[in-house]
Amino acid sequence: MHLSIPNRRILAFVGGLVLLLCLGGCRHAAEEDTGVIHLEFWNGFTGPDGKTMEKIVRRFNEEHKDPDGSGQAIQVRMQIIPWGTYYDKVTLSLAYGGAPDVFILHADRLPEYADVNAVITVDDLLKTGGLDAKDFAPRAWKAAQWKGRQYAIPLDCHPQALYYNTDLFKKAGIAKPPTNLSEFLADAKKLTRDTNGDGKIDQWGFAFTWMRNNAHTFLSQFDSGWLTSDGRHSDLTSANAREAFQLMSDLIYKYKVCPAPEGQDAWIGFRTGKVAMAIEGIYMISSVEEQEGLKFAGAPCPVFGRHPGVWGNSHMMCMPRGISPEHRKAAWTFMKFLSDNSLDWAKGGQVPVRKSILSTPEFRKLEVQYQFSRELPYVVYSPPSTSLNQILPFCDAAVEATLNHIKPMDEALAEAARRTNAVLERQ
Amino acid sequence: MKVWNRNKYAAMFLLPYGVLFLVFVASPVIYGFIVSLHKWYILAPHPTFVGLANYSAVLKDDLFRTAFMRTAYFVVMVVPLGNALSLLMAVGLNQNYRGTTLYKVAFYLPVLTSVSVVAILWRWLYSTQFGLLNYYLGRAGLGSVNWLTSTATAMPAIALLSIWWGAGGNMLIYLAGLKNIPRELLEAAEIDGASPMQRFGAVTWPLLKPTTLFCVVMSIIASSQVFGQTYILTGGGPYYSTLTVILYMYQQGFGLYQLGYAAAVGYVLFLAVLVFAVLQFKLLAYQR
Repeated sequence: MHLSIPNRRILAFVGGLVLLLCLGGCRHAAEEDTGVIHLEFWNGFTGPDGKTMEKIVRRFNEEHKDPDGSGQAIQVRMQIIPWGTYYDKVTLSLAYGGAPDVFILHADRLPEYADVNAVITVDDLLKTGGLDAKDFAPRAWKAAQWKGRQYAIPLDCHPQALYYNTDLFKKAGIAKPPTNLSEFLADAKKLTRDTNGDGKIDQWGFAFTWMRNNAHTFLSQFDSGWLTSDGRHSDLTSANAREAFQLMSDLIYKYKVCPAPEGQDAWIGFRTGKVAMAIEGIYMISSVEEQEGLKFAGAPCPVFGRHPGVWGNSHMMCMPRGISPEHRKAAWTFMKFLSDNSLDWAKGGQVPVRKSILSTPEFRKLEVQYQFSRELPYVVYSPPSTSLNQILPFCDAAVEATLNHIKPMDEALAEAARRTNAVLERQ
Repeated sequence: MKVWNRNKYAAMFLLPYGVLFLVFVASPVIYGFIVSLHKWYILAPHPTFVGLANYSAVLKDDLFRTAFMRTAYFVVMVVPLGNALSLLMAVGLNQNYRGTTLYKVAFYLPVLTSVSVVAILWRWLYSTQFGLLNYYLGRAGLGSVNWLTSTATAMPAIALLSIWWGAGGNMLIYLAGLKNIPRELLEAAEIDGASPMQRFGAVTWPLLKPTTLFCVVMSIIASSQVFGQTYILTGGGPYYSTLTVILYMYQQGFGLYQLGYAAAVGYVLFLAVLVFAVLQFKLLAYQR
């Protein structure tokens, strides 16, 4: 029989389903036999961070085999799913079954899931002890809350900070990284050069890498953000937001120390020494560490606006609604273990959020991570909103239009604000 | 009795496909309509019935209108140029030169390639810094073009690769159409002293009309559903310039999990294409 391709796909799909059902059945049978609790742990750590996490999980499994039967044996199976499809899988599993026992959500996605109770609060577990809220960096801790309840435990924080090329700094005769706007502009001007004399700039002082979050860093320093502080309207038409956007645009068109983002891969530019400074997250560290011939360092982000401020995000450890009490208890043990061992996690390119870990000499030895951790007191998270995911594309478009001169800034900001407000009203 | 037997056998042969069609095509179409009448956030416990509210929201949504216009722009570029290219290749291959089979295979190969492969291949060709296209432009002293990252060129660039990707499919249909044109008519015209161009204009083109109309309608339907190319290459950017309707539907449904709204977006496109297709087939029947 000849099957057309779609039909074959359907058959494969049905076959796959049957197989999955069988496998699911087998797994549960095995669990009941041995008295070991098997936990599923999902995350999107596909980079070197995944290898670090694998090691931590392996250690947990070693320590929780419980051969003498004095406690509960727990074994964790980790699944790494690329971030690109991660949220689809997590969402579907939460909606239709098959959710993992522990999974990672980014702080800015948490409200979406917490608001419909797709993740379960940990308030009662916190009372049982083991984790002390006071030991956490307050802003990271607060980012795990929604409507007054604690829905997750922050594993880390990844603020943006300044990466700079120490070789280029030395060549330009600059001794230390800039801390404010005037130093930044002076340094950036020295670092923006036409190195081969063809009349075109081929080394830039600065470049925007991830436009959305770079913009949020600028906004936060001008007391603005994507949304007003009550979270009910767009803040992009405010005078503060316009000031921040104007400065970003000026770096390109007035001071000429930064290329227009159009058609650039700025991060590759930084890695290859064509860009001297960039504001990026700590998670990029492995990609510059493995770059041959690149000498770089990290520093807190300069103050461009009225006060320090940087965009940051956290990996939040969550549990799904409908998890059984035994699994929930085991999952809590596992989450505590991850938090307690977040120094190892930090080594893979993260900033821990436990004060007791941040103050250890071992952490102080991680020079770049330490520099980034100095920003924890003033890190700014994306505004907590269940609609954030819908709104951010409008903000992206406004940043893109402004920095690439696709539209006049005011028009682009007004358009993004109008669309944002329409979405917020629809909710 | 005989007729009944024949029908019975026909029904039996059709049954497997009929069942699959009902389960995997017809019922999702109906279910999709039901979904479009609900406000349905995937994580919320229950969808709520909202009647036609999603439709009125879609029609008021200026991003949907942008997506609709960008899709129309894409269709206007791809359908005439693509069909012209297919017809040209078919006419060329209809002359019995040596090695035409090889060319047929070569022209048809892209059609068999999945959209992801095609898109990734063209991403390399279009790359601003390392792309082959800009390399040759640079050598010709024309400077480089930000193919996929400028609002002016992104959609034409997507259209160009789509034409390359799909031209081979219609080529085969045109070729079949050309083979159906009686040779005597062309020979008679030749004896009467008609030039090749005149023969094409007076004999081939009119007789090929049903084929052409079929190809044009099918390519309008297919190209108004453009998705993979923009999803992979541009994600709808820069600044919404390659935002197409299906991509917008995908973003609403599977990016933001607004299932009811996404279904309504899909249905509006479906109705628009349906109206267009019916009109064209009416036109075809009238001309006959």
